[in-house]
Amino acid sequence: MAKRIAIVEDEAAIRENYAAAFRREGYEVDAYEARAPALQAFDTRLPDLVVIDINLKDDVEGGFELCRELRSRARELPIIFLTARDSEFDAVSGLRLGADDYLTKDISLPHLMARIAALFRRLDALSKPQVKENRLVRGDLDVDTDRMTILWKGQPVGLTLTEFWLVHALARYPGHVKNRQQLMDAAQAVLDDNTITSHIKRIRRKFIAIDASFDAIETVYGMGYRWLAE
Amino acid sequence: MTLKRQLLLVSLLTLVLPWAGDQFIRETESALRANQQQMLAGTARAVADSLAQYPEEFPPVRHDDHLFGDQLYGHPLETRPEIDGYFDDWTLDEQSLRTMRGVDGPIRFAVGLADQFVFLYVEVSDRKVVYAGPGTAALDSGPRFSDRVALVSTSPPYLEETLSFAAEAPGPIVTYVKTAYGFAPEPTILAHWQDVPGGYQIEARIPASKLGTHLGLVVSNTAAEMEAPVRSASFTSQTPGAFVRISPELSDEARELVQNGMRLLVTDSAGWRIAQSGSLTMPSDSSGGARSAWLRIAYDALVESGEEAELAEPDPSGREQQEYIRQALDGTPSVSWFRSSDSGKAVVAAAQPIRESNTTVGAVVLQQGTDAILSLRNQGLSQLITGTLIITILVAITLLGYATWLSRRIRRLSIAAEVALETDNLRISLPSSSAGDEVGDLSRSFSHVLRQLGDYNDYLRSLASKLSHELRTPLAIVTSSLENLEHEPLNEASHGYASRARDGADRLRRILTAMSEASRVEELMQHAEPEVFDLCAALSATIEAYRDVYPQRQFHFDTNVDTARATGSPELIIQMLDKLVDNAVDFSKAGDTIRVTLARDAAVLLVSVANPGPSLPERMRSQLFDSMVSMRPADGDKHLGLGLYVAKLIAEGHGGTIRAENTDDGVAVIVTLQGDANGK
Repeated sequence: MAKRIAIVEDEAAIRENYAAAFRREGYEVDAYEARAPALQAFDTRLPDLVVIDINLKDDVEGGFELCRELRSRARELPIIFLTARDSEFDAVSGLRLGADDYLTKDISLPHLMARIAALFRRLDALSKPQVKENRLVRGDLDVDTDRMTILWKGQPVGLTLTEFWLVHALARYPGHVKNRQQLMDAAQAVLDDNTITSHIKRIRRKFIAIDASFDAIETVYGMGYRWLAE
Repeated sequence: MTLKRQLLLVSLLTLVLPWAGDQFIRETESALRANQQQMLAGTARAVADSLAQYPEEFPPVRHDDHLFGDQLYGHPLETRPEIDGYFDDWTLDEQSLRTMRGVDGPIRFAVGLADQFVFLYVEVSDRKVVYAGPGTAALDSGPRFSDRVALVSTSPPYLEETLSFAAEAPGPIVTYVKTAYGFAPEPTILAHWQDVPGGYQIEARIPASKLGTHLGLVVSNTAAEMEAPVRSASFTSQTPGAFVRISPELSDEARELVQNGMRLLVTDSAGWRIAQSGSLTMPSDSSGGARSAWLRIAYDALVESGEEAELAEPDPSGREQQEYIRQALDGTPSVSWFRSSDSGKAVVAAAQPIRESNTTVGAVVLQQGTDAILSLRNQGLSQLITGTLIITILVAITLLGYATWLSRRIRRLSIAAEVALETDNLRISLPSSSAGDEVGDLSRSFSHVLRQLGDYNDYLRSLASKLSHELRTPLAIVTSSLENLEHEPLNEASHGYASRARDGADRLRRILTAMSEASRVEELMQHAEPEVFDLCAALSATIEAYRDVYPQRQFHFDTNVDTARATGSPELIIQMLDKLVDNAVDFSKAGDTIRVTLARDAAVLLVSVANPGPSLPERMRSQLFDSMVSMRPADGDKHLGLGLYVAKLIAEGHGGTIRAENTDDGVAVIVTLQGDANGK
């Protein structure tokens, strides 16, 4: 059965373009302009994945509200936030709303599609038992590449999809320096230095929240980052 | 011209005050003097009028008597001198002695009057005194001669007598009177011959009744008995000149007329003193000396001086010769002012002609002692003048002080405004902003202007990021549309267009990213958690990377420390370094060496990036770090002039500074950062 994607976006052109792209990939798409009609539809039937624009017209809080609503109804439902400025990432993710990823609106379609595909894959993986071969263990780090979850010292770390990809890229070959280009490729996005820095900072913060002595990600000045082996 | 100088010039106007004061003092002084002189002249007139009632007392005016030298003056003596041939017991000053030329030297003589006697004193210089032979003292004709003195007394037109004084030996001598009838000794005349070194002296006492109206002295000097003497006479004409003496009538009258504190002199038409009365009483010191010395000096400088006070004294020769008296004798009443500047005493003198039927028969001279500076006598006046002087000085000082204060206020305002501009601290409050006067208005206007400038600058700075933000959504639309387009069946040409459009959109995105970088850096710094890192290690690692990234440049890292602990965000610092190195590479040529140095100076770390290349123009040096300022030739889309702006944001966000300087061969950008206080 084709997966159903709902997109809530007030900018018509973007909404239409994304919807067309999704459909081309074979998904079914429901496009909504505002929160209210979306919620109404969700009362009847939940989609399989939702893409929400945070800056909905006249309704700044709208996107967050919607996310809360959805989460209360379906804990595992993949939710992607779209935002105009990447500077809002910190503010947004600080609110711990539990979206699966935060993207800027100028993300390219192929990258968006890759994320959506990954999220659906993960959904499938969650319903199946764990496959040992797809786990990556590096010291205290336990990475499940199917479910896209990470455990540090046995505790789950709530990373977004992009953050997961970054950690995975670093930890795959500990001690190797990953430069910006490589990290960008891994994260399936066009990121400039500042954005990468922000992501790494956020990742570190999330790990440190669990383990105050976390310092496995090392900044190699002028070159990139690397995962420190024990 | 500065404000201080302007106000100083204006305050020079207050010099009008002392000038006015000076004029006032002069005017007052001359007015007071004129007043006194006028009063004195008036009194002199009155005296002259009353003395004119005794015309007979005045010797007749004889026009051939302008040969004053012929006249002899009989000085009034207070006591009778001893007839001993010496002058020391005469109550007469030596200056009163008349001098005439003798053969062997000067002959000095004087005629004095006391009681009813006329006293004669003659000093003769004689190299060889020749005494008269026995019995020849009387004769003055040959064949035997001797040194002798003769007094010729005439009362024109008929009477003529000669009193001959000759000595057989020094000591008392007999006086022989030669009349028309011959020589006869005159026992009523006492005379004494005294030899002195260089000559002889004769003193004689003659009853006044024996002498006529005209008197002359003849001195005969022989070198030897048989030689004819050479005669020297006190008169040049044939007959002796008039014998002038004090008139007792006039003296009595004068005594009655004279007032307290005044001296009255009466002269005849030749100027001989024929009456004198009264004396000058100088004002006591109490009225003049209370004034302080400096005030007197100040006044002396301002007030005209008169002639010396000594000239007010009666002439010792007996004949008054001063200018003002001469004018009076010519018929013009005149006044004169004598003062002694150091003693503070002065004499006012008025001379008035005494007229009798249109001829001037004599003159009245009235003298009064007074204070040299009259205005000082008036206490109120001098207080006023002193006060004015003090006020003038105070006003000048106050004006100067005010000018200084005002110019300092304005200067402070000007400096504060410039500092605000330079440090970009456009919202500070300027001094004098709460003042109510024009300077306060100026300050508030300045603040307003600076605030506007600050707002505008803020707007400009945020323009880039605002613009980029607005453009993102449309760009997203374009990009996503193009991406979809490429999935549609397209012919060659369309594909071409689509891909070119994609490229264009990508470039646009890169530009937007660059434009918004500044605001992203600001936000990053706001939320960044400062960590402690080793700047030295970070720099050296990064420079290694640069060597790979820019193979066409040499990189040189100099440092005088092993480690340099700093607090901040290392990623941002490295980002800043990227910008600086990027600039350095762009402005240098292939093969050039870019020098990065890290130095510690106390608690401050200095990082500098220097490259050879063109120098910075002076005016760009401060603008270089502003948003959207670029010195490159138009280079397409890559450089928006934000690199150095971002570098400045990062430097200042870490509490440091950034500046650009010209070096010998290029440019160096120097960043200061706070190192760790523990000095490592």
